Formats: sequence, structure tokens, C-alpha cells
Amino acid sequence: MRKLLLWLVCLMLTSAASAHQLKAAVTTVLFNDRTSNIEVMHRFYLHDAEHAVSHLFTKSPGRHNHADLISDKETQDTFADYVENQFKLETLTNKKLTLTSVGHQLDGQFFWVYQEINIPDSVKGLRMSHGALRDLWPAQVNMVNVEGKGKVKTLTFSGEDTWLQTKFETK
Amino acid sequence: MSTKLSLIAAAIMLPLTMSVNASAINQTKGDFEDKFRQLGQALPTPNVYRNAAGEPGAQYWQQKVDYKIKATLDEENRRLTAHQSISYKNNSPDTLKYLWLQLDQNIFKSDSIAELTSTVKTKLQSGPDKGKAKISLNTLRRQQFLDDTEMGYQIAKVKDNSGNALKATVVGTLMRIDLKKPLKPGKTAKFSMDFAFNIAEEDAVGARAGYEHFEKDGNDIFLLAQWFPRLAAYTDYEAWTNKAFLGSGEFTLEFGNYDVELTVPADHIVSATGELENASSVLTKTQRSRLEKAETSKRPVFIVTEEEALENEKEGSSKTKTWKFNAEKVRDFAWASSRKFIWDAKGYQQGGDDQPLVMAMSFFPVDGGDLWKKYSTESIVHTMEVYSRFSFDYPYPVAQSVNGPVGGMEYPMITFNGPRTELQDDGTRTYTQAEKRFLIGVVIHEVGHIYFPMIVNSDERQWTWMDEGLNSFLDGIAGREWDPTIPWGVEAQDIVPYMKSERQVPIMTQSDSILNFGRNAYAKPAVALNILREVILGRELFDFAFKEYAQRWKYKRPTPSDFFRTMEEASGVDLDWFWRGWFYSTDHVDISIDRVYKLRLDTKNPDIDYGRLRETELNKPVSQFVERNKAEGRELWVDKNQDVSDFYDDNDRFTVTNKERNSYNKFLKGLKPWERKTFERAVKEDKNYYVLEFSNLGGLVMPILLQLTYTDGTVEDKYIPAEIWRRSPKKVQKLIVTDKNKELKDISVDASWLTADIDVENNYYPRRIIPSRIEAYKSKKRDGKVNRDIMQDIKTELKKDEDKKEKPLTEDKK
Repeated sequence: MRKLLLWLVCLMLTSAASAHQLKAAVTTVLFNDRTSNIEVMHRFYLHDAEHAVSHLFTKSPGRHNHADLISDKETQDTFADYVENQFKLETLTNKKLTLTSVGHQLDGQFFWVYQEINIPDSVKGLRMSHGALRDLWPAQVNMVNVEGKGKVKTLTFSGEDTWLQTKFETK
Repeated sequence: MSTKLSLIAAAIMLPLTMSVNASAINQTKGDFEDKFRQLGQALPTPNVYRNAAGEPGAQYWQQKVDYKIKATLDEENRRLTAHQSISYKNNSPDTLKYLWLQLDQNIFKSDSIAELTSTVKTKLQSGPDKGKAKISLNTLRRQQFLDDTEMGYQIAKVKDNSGNALKATVVGTLMRIDLKKPLKPGKTAKFSMDFAFNIAEEDAVGARAGYEHFEKDGNDIFLLAQWFPRLAAYTDYEAWTNKAFLGSGEFTLEFGNYDVELTVPADHIVSATGELENASSVLTKTQRSRLEKAETSKRPVFIVTEEEALENEKEGSSKTKTWKFNAEKVRDFAWASSRKFIWDAKGYQQGGDDQPLVMAMSFFPVDGGDLWKKYSTESIVHTMEVYSRFSFDYPYPVAQSVNGPVGGMEYPMITFNGPRTELQDDGTRTYTQAEKRFLIGVVIHEVGHIYFPMIVNSDERQWTWMDEGLNSFLDGIAGREWDPTIPWGVEAQDIVPYMKSERQVPIMTQSDSILNFGRNAYAKPAVALNILREVILGRELFDFAFKEYAQRWKYKRPTPSDFFRTMEEASGVDLDWFWRGWFYSTDHVDISIDRVYKLRLDTKNPDIDYGRLRETELNKPVSQFVERNKAEGRELWVDKNQDVSDFYDDNDRFTVTNKERNSYNKFLKGLKPWERKTFERAVKEDKNYYVLEFSNLGGLVMPILLQLTYTDGTVEDKYIPAEIWRRSPKKVQKLIVTDKNKELKDISVDASWLTADIDVENNYYPRRIIPSRIEAYKSKKRDGKVNRDIMQDIKTELKKDEDKKEKPLTEDKK
């Protein structure tokens, strides 16, 4: 038996079993030949995102815990920063791909966060980790669709998943 | 280590790939797939209990189970003790030697299937820089709670009516009671038992009920559900529905009447399934008169005000009170109890004979704030108004929304809803717009469940979509009728990422085996039904059929086939392809318009056709070779020797002779009168003939929603039914004929994004560049204004000169 380090993470909220959907985010990682970029587009339910901010960040005194994603720009920035830090991309040979921030956007019931990076030469696959909200709610599932490299590849981050990877088909 | 792992992986991969297609009908020639094959074979054979129309059959039956329960809440020990007597009427044609009961509380036991099979998903790698395995504080909290608290039922004194002990065998989350003598059809068995269990702390274990402790005032909110041993359903389609409770697949139960006496601390307020029978002994005179006033009030009336609730939660009570409830024709019973509750009520005068007055009521701690005061009870009423239009009058005397630790959960006449306000440092309670939307949405959704599945009693343990999918579809309708800016779920575009993903199972999957639960069982069926209503059937046909389904199965037990059959039978539209595609497969929608050909009818008249051919020839680009020769100044032989010429210099190859004219006349003479008439008219009209070539890349056959834009600027919508794919599910061609002056400029498929088509780029001819979200976002950002958050920016303070970072409001305005 191997001895492994057990790392304690603080989940601040439990997942109340509930009869409605949520606690699920979708990320599209798109190889866009038009822009020569890997475009990363994260889609979160507004309500989840808002609760995340109010539990993760304490603001200036007097506005404690008041996170409002619809009308408060600071909340939006905070959440976008958080997501960008939680999403990491590497090549199959563990070379870090540092994404740059593009911006964020409200759209109906969703909050979107955008990142991008130039498509690296001869990329044969990707490794990624997507921790957003998963340190808050054990029920959080982050699904990633990798598109623009043949058939859509799907990675699903749930439970204690840290790094997952996908290889592209050779044409 | 790693080599071993890959070996195992290879070994299990094999059977997976081999066990495809075990259907009795097999297409073994070519690659044709009959997307329209009738569902008949996949559905159960109709019988006297469920007929081929999807209706309860001539001999439909279901059991009836009545309960009398006396329960006591031990607040200090968070324990419930109770006695129940059950009357079980066997309406089935079968003789039963034993009865099965569901013991849902046993799911928390350490030896339950759910606990034993809970998995961790973590990549364990050794070595210092490989990262560490994770365990959460939550997991530890849960572990500790379950270590410290003995969970599950303690059941004693299982006896029949005459006091004889009955043999009871516990099988995980189920219990079999062996009857003294077999229960014949039409007979009733009566038996009783004592039971007790420790109530779960909801926040620690994560459940559909439990208690919540408030550190500040030391009080609890108790939500009690799935709390008594309940008879499992005995059905015509599955006999005993005694599949173990694993957590996801909820339950299906029998209808019956309940008399329940709940003994709780004297200062608690209780909300429960059913009508309060002894208001005079548990409510004050003031509370009773407020309730009466609420019956006809325009807005909710407080039965217990905030001030009264705050006063109430200051001290406890060692005394108890017993609340008596009666509920008829319900399939379950749940309740909530706390001294923290504010209580408001409003009468919903729905009229009709069944239940002219329904009391809509909400129970919430001070944390609910204005959010609950303003919107909870009103949302209950709105739900009933909308849902009844699609089904039947709300048939029960009360409809309730209770705030506690559960995010959202439903039981007959009572729902648990989680959203709350935030207490700010200045003492005020605020909530965001998202939280408001969420409260309204969740109350609509949970109260909607009182219709589906609490009255239209589908089997949740097997089919989550039958209640969650239908209910998500309807809550989308109710949400849009509240305020269309509340986005709650039925937009086709929202499920595109799921539909194109690889991690999917068909909607027709047993609840506990579903991957991607929310999208599979809620969003996808809701979107599918919305497409069926808005695109395929139209509102009139859909609403008629859907209402028929609801009314047929009110207080009864439908299965998926009953839904599919009713929708088809009542609408008069063959929908087998639709159920196959959306419910039985993991195909997605991706229809591409590949090419468009423009054709013109030959007139056969050489004097016309040869001229057209000449024109075509002249329209071809001039040879580059010739052009360059000209540019170099090369003089042509024919120009240099103009004195040498012959017939062919004056007559090109398109010159018409009498030979062609004779043959044209012969052709005309050979036509029958009707042929000639048709031909001449077509020549005269000289219409445009377009052949459109489509391919179905996603596999799911769907109608083609065409939008044709003409060169004159007009736009025309054309609906091509899905049946176009029936003989050729991968590629089809469609002829479109337009008037001579109506020339096509461009064509799009599903321009309004109604069908969840996953690739928009191939929906246009000629192709358009569809910017990615990031490209669109960047270009939008450039033209400014639209993206300004004025609500926020308006708060910007005017800054002094030295701070050049922020632009003051006045400058922005220019």
C-alpha cells in the first residue's frame, strides 16, 4: 500500500438535494482557425455564480456578503477572476498554456467568462483542470466540450477530479 | 501499477463494443436506418389495464392504502417516534402473500447500497509533485455525523388487526411483511407498527428532508419527509416496485387517505400535507380570524407575523401540542415544524366544483425577508393558475411553500424551497435579482410537482423525466407568463452543449443510471416538449393532447408508453420518430444545407434554347491565354487574313436550322393534349427551379425550417415535415419552384434557433461566417454603449483630476 498525502479542502456549502437542475457549468474549448486561438468560453448559471462569490469573497465592510451578478460590476469581475484562476490548460507534455482574459458577459440565466491563447504548434491533445465551484459544492459538475479538432471531445469534471486529458484524432 | 490498469481497461472495453443492437428487427443490408420505424415493438403490448390509446384500460386498477399515524417530535434529541396503522386494499387481480414497504430512512445506514457503493473519483499518483488527493470538510462532516448518529428505522410491534405479530424482513431500504393469510383480490389487510428514527441534519448529510440548526437563536427547522414506512406500489406493469432506494430514483406510491396527529413543542407552527382538523386547539383566536380574512384577501395575510415569530423563537417550551391533519387521495404525506416560522396565506378562488377555494400558504424564518413575504405565496397561486390550464383544477385544500435547508423538494400539498435573503451589517435584509428569479422559479417548479407526479402519479424510481421533464417544460411556461425576462429553462439553444457532448445516455434510462442528471432528465425533455409544442404540433394540438394525458392519468399511474401513445393518439400526428430520436437515442440535431442548384426548363424550341445556350457560352469567363495574347498585342490569323472566310465565320455552332425546327414541331405534335397544355404553360411561366441538398449530420430527424430570402428583398418561411427523411435519413434533396421574378438570394435552416441544431454555420447557403462567442463579444465591445452597465456606472463618483483611471459620468454622457 502506498502512502499518499490527503489534502483537506474546505467546501463551504453542502449540496442540498433538490428537485431542480443547476450546479452544472459548461465550458467550450474551441480551436478557432479564423482567429488562430484556442477560445475558452465558460457558461455558469447566474444563481450559482452569485452564491459562489458571496461565499468565497468578503467585500469591503458594510457590503459583506452582498454579491449581485446582475447589477454589480465588482461581483462580475470577482467571479470572472475566480473562474480564470480555477481553469488550467496544459499540453500533453505538461507544458503550461497560460490563457489571457478576454472578458465576461451576462446572457439570460447565464454568466459567461471568456479566455484565449494562440493555438500552440503541433498540439496533439490537451490536459486541463477545472475547479470552478467544485470547491464549494460537491455536486458541481463542469462539462468541457473540446471543439474544432474533429469530433467533439467531452471531459466531465466531478467528484475529486483534478486533471483530465483528451487526445485528438490524427487525420 | 499503470500497466495493470490499462490491461483491465482493455478487457472491459471489448464486451461494450460487441453488445450493440439486440433488436428483433435487424437491417443487415446497406447502412439504411429506419428513423421512422414504429415504436410498437419497443413499447409494452397494450392490455386491459393500459390500452393502445395510452389510456387506463377497461380493467385498470391500483391499490389503495390508508394510514393513521401518531408521531411525536423529540426536539431535543432530534428524534421522531411514531405509531402507524395501515389499511391495504388489494384492488389487483392477484393474491398477495406479502407486502413490501419502503424504508427510505435506511439509505443513511452504513450498510445501505447507497453508502456501500458511493465512490470517490480521484487520480491517485504518488510522488511529491504529482499533487495530493483531496477530501473535503463536507465529506468529513458527513462521515462524523453518520458515525455519531444511529441512522435508519427502528421498527417494532409489527402486528395484524387481531394483534398477531407479523414476520417483517428488512432488505436494505425495503421491508417485506408476510401476511398471516394470503390477501385475495378485493380484500383489505390491516396492520400496524411502531417506528422511530433519528432525524438527519440536512446540511451534514444532504437529503430531501432533515433538520437545520440556527446557531444564533439555538432553534431548528424540521422538515419531515419520506419519514414513515410507506407501502411500495404494486402495479400491473412491474408488480412490486421494490427496487432499492439509491438516492436518485425517488419513489412511486399508492393513493390513499391519511389521518395524522403530530405532537410537537407547544410553540411550534406546523405545515403539513392535508387540512388542519383541530385549528381551535392549536391556533389562537387571532390566528384563526386572520386565516379567515386571508381566504378573500387580494394579497397574503400574515397568520404569524415577523414580530410574533421573533418573539416566539426567544424561549422554548417544554409543553407539547398535537396538530391533527387529514388528507384525502394523496400518495404521500410530509410536514414541517418550527418555532421560527412566519406564516402567511392567501385564498386562491379557482371556482369549479372540485375545490373552489385553495389556501396558498408560506412558512419561513425571518431569513426569508421581503423576498418570501412578497413572492412565495403569490408564486404558488400563479403556478396553480397556469398548471390548471394545462391539466385540471388543483384538487386539494392547501398548497404550501416552506423555507428550510432543502433547496427544492415536493410532496403532496407541501413543498420545500431554499432561497433566502442576506443579512447586511446595517441590519437590513437584501437579495439580488438572481435570487428573486430563483425563488419564483423554484416555487413554481416545486408546486408544479404537486400536479406531476403527486397527482399524475408517474414512477419516479424508474423514470425521472416523466415528472422532472414534464414539470420543467411547464415551469418554463409559467415562468414566461410571470415575467418573460425570467429565463427558466426551455430555450432550445441552452441544451446545445449537452446535445453535442459525448457524455450522454438516452432520456429513457432508469433514474439511478443517468449521466448528467439535470440535463438528461430536466432540460432535454423540457426542450423536446417545447419543440413538440411550438414547432411540430403547434400549440392547439399539443395543448389538447397534453391536457388529455393529464386528465386521463389524474390520480392514476402512467408509464412512458402511456404518455407517448396519448400524445400521438390525441394529436392525430405520428410522433414515433420524435420519441425515438429525442427519448430513445442520443442523436442530436444538425441539419446542413449543403448545396443549391438553380435549374431552368428547356423550351425544346431551338429558336429559344439555342439562343440561351449561346448566352451561357458567352457568359463563361474569357480564356486567360487569349487575354494575355491580346495584351501582348498578338495579331490573330483571322484578323490578318480577313479576305479568307466561309460559312462558319457567319454562323456559330448555335445556329438553328430547319432540321431542328422540324424536330421541335414533331415533338409538339407527339404530345397528348394534356401534355401539350402543361408543357406550354410551363414554358410560358418560365419559373425558377431550385434543388436544395440537405444532409442530416446529427442523426436526429427533424422538420426542416427553411427561410428563403429573395433578391427582391422578400422573405418566406417554409416548413418541411420531418418525414422528408423517411427513405433517406442522411441526405435529401428538395425541389423548390418560384416565380420567374422570384430569384433566391440566400437560404437558411432554423434561422430562429428553435430546434437545438448544434452547428449553425452549415445552416446557411451561401455559407456565412458565424463568429464564436468570443469573436462576437470582442466586436460588440468595440461598438461600446450596448455593454455599458448603466445601473452600476450611474453610481460612479466624480473623481479629482489626479485620478485619470476612472472616467467621470459627465464625460461619458457626451
